[in-house]
Amino acid sequence: MDTKIILKQLEEMLSKEQVSTDGEALYDAAADRYKKYAKARKVLNVPTPIAIVYPKNTEEIRKLLMYCNDNGVNVIPRGGKTATEGGLENWKDVTIVIDAYHLDSIVKIDTYNSQATVQAGVPLQELEDELRKVGFTTGHSPQSKPVAKYGGLVATRSIGQFSTLYGGIEDMVVGLECVFPDGHVSKIKNVPRRSGGPDIRHIAIGNEGTLCYITEVTIKIFKFYPDNNRFKGYLVKDVESGIKVLREVMVNGFRPSVARTYSEEDAAQHFYHFYENKCVLLFMSEGPKGIVDATVKAIEDAVELHKDGIVKQVDSSLIETWFNQLNWSQKDIDDEFEGMIENDSHSGFTTEVSADWETIPKLYDSVINRVKNEFPRAKDLTMLGGHSSHSYLNGTNMYFVYNYNILCEPEDELIIYHHPIQKIIVEETIKFGGSMCHHHGIGKYRSEWTKDEHGSAYYMLEKLKEAFDPKGVMNYGTIFPKEDGLKYIE
Amino acid sequence: MHIVCVIKFVPDVDNFSYNYETHTISRNDSQMLINPDDACALGFALKMKKKDPQSFIEVVSMAPSSITSQLENILRVGFDKATLISDSLYAGSDTYVTSKILSKYLDKIDYDCILSGTHSIDGDTSHVPSQIAQCLNLDHLNSIYQIEEDTFNNSSAVVTVENEKSSITYEIGLPAVLSLSRESSYRLPYVRYKNLNLDVSDKLNIISNKDLCFSAEEVGLKGSLTKVKNTHVKTYETRDKKIVASDDNGVEVVYNFLKDKGFI
Repeated sequence: MDTKIILKQLEEMLSKEQVSTDGEALYDAAADRYKKYAKARKVLNVPTPIAIVYPKNTEEIRKLLMYCNDNGVNVIPRGGKTATEGGLENWKDVTIVIDAYHLDSIVKIDTYNSQATVQAGVPLQELEDELRKVGFTTGHSPQSKPVAKYGGLVATRSIGQFSTLYGGIEDMVVGLECVFPDGHVSKIKNVPRRSGGPDIRHIAIGNEGTLCYITEVTIKIFKFYPDNNRFKGYLVKDVESGIKVLREVMVNGFRPSVARTYSEEDAAQHFYHFYENKCVLLFMSEGPKGIVDATVKAIEDAVELHKDGIVKQVDSSLIETWFNQLNWSQKDIDDEFEGMIENDSHSGFTTEVSADWETIPKLYDSVINRVKNEFPRAKDLTMLGGHSSHSYLNGTNMYFVYNYNILCEPEDELIIYHHPIQKIIVEETIKFGGSMCHHHGIGKYRSEWTKDEHGSAYYMLEKLKEAFDPKGVMNYGTIFPKEDGLKYIE
Repeated sequence: MHIVCVIKFVPDVDNFSYNYETHTISRNDSQMLINPDDACALGFALKMKKKDPQSFIEVVSMAPSSITSQLENILRVGFDKATLISDSLYAGSDTYVTSKILSKYLDKIDYDCILSGTHSIDGDTSHVPSQIAQCLNLDHLNSIYQIEEDTFNNSSAVVTVENEKSSITYEIGLPAVLSLSRESSYRLPYVRYKNLNLDVSDKLNIISNKDLCFSAEEVGLKGSLTKVKNTHVKTYETRDKKIVASDDNGVEVVYNFLKDKGFI
């Protein structure tokens, strides 16, 4: 269908003010932070969407999705624009971005039942600020906290820095409302638990806009005890020594809110003033005083048990200072963008994976070894390391962090630098039986390995797509691999 | 238009090897880079080629054969021909001998303009471009900050030369030797990913003393009248390191430091 006709019909469906065709805004909407450098240098190689639309309610989203479904228009749902894996990148000539900007209402804060309901466009920071006023917290604190919005957080299965205590977003969502491309609106009610068949919340949580548009979510909220926060930090011999302590604390049944081990190289970025060329192990414990005291004691016991790997304890205030500056704001994002226009550099990339306790140290060593020996531009690396930052009873994640001198044209940066490193990380993770995507989602740039990630269970994922988006209009190329998308990857 | 870019490969300052007996840089063992000023000359030439695809640009360099792969990469960016002048007899040549060798080759080819950098980051004498001009009986301007693209043609060019005190615009008749400074905005692009393995062997011309026919006494260390008397390794003073916390006190310390140094 002719673009002009689509735009006219969109304006009729909503209003002229709710349909943006501003060139700069469309260029910005063509890609997310995966192509941040190419975007800053104005050399994006993907089509721009034809419009960004700003619906005001579920009914308008329903109408939009039905229209797109009937007319073969690709839809990219958008929240706070902090995606890092290409989930917001456009691969279709006729695409509209449905932005949750006007879905900005905090519907209800229910402290008695420890839950809050928000529309998809509510920024996490905004809800957090409201909750703090009544002594509660969301417990969710991704680095993007000041910018990210609830629709995106849920759609990407996001995780926060306190996940070891509070869980990932999937552990927090009580119920939600979402709209499917055929116009059906599903509302999953808010109950403590039920055994009514498979947990259908998980069809929407993590769908990355490929199955439905999330319009509203209800999440758990938690009592906040900031005065009880305690910090512990240690220098450790190597990554494995730090991981052993993390495991000890976790398997003994304790849940610090922050539990991390940094490689020496990564520690240099964050703790340059005290890391002494060693790896860093750190904890934050929060909650009721009795629990915090018990958790701190458990950390000290674990450190004592594994003292052979501990170099020394560091001043707790150093960890607390670091903790207070964890998040990046919109200004940080904008500053990085401006910096990339002027300089042949950016703030680096990350690839986050997970595996069981036994595997993670081996996986870490294997990846680092392969990158150093096989990556053709290894000499351009200025940083290669990682940290474990989200732990579970049976394992932990590894957040590989890398940066490099960009000695190529901006158009080629990803294919020459980031993608080969990411490929090694994903290949090794899958080989070791871990997950290639711990918390950034698959987006478009890990979709080439979605089948490898899920193996025989990919059947289940594929059937969901067939059932809920049979015409394939929802976020084309995200999660589900597409042959014609390879031209943007390779 | 036929443009020749004379370029030099210089040691990477972070990774080079120096022969303290002969006082020469071991170019074979060092990581070599295109001299930054010379890269600007290449960048300008390529810009002209984009404007007029009929232009022919030849890159000329005197260097060990170990830089062949780097010359190939220059060709992959879009240059028409690269000539490497390389012979073990030429090792250790001073700037005058180097200029003589380069000029002998340049005298044999057609050109409308010779571009080069002004300074090199290893020697920094800026002798070679002016000596080439002298040998070829051409005019020469260095420290060129800008060349007016629309005026650049077979017969003349309008260029702006900058130094610490002034900025002067000249019109110069061509052919001439125009030496650019790294303060100019011309930038040599990187090889595109799709061209990383492009076969450019047919554009690479390697010539030796067999072609230029110097006697062994005229070139290399033997032929060079400039002698390095001595060299020394630059020593750096150890400075006190002060670590401050990211609090009000730390901000004040950093602010006062910058203020003392005149940055604020």
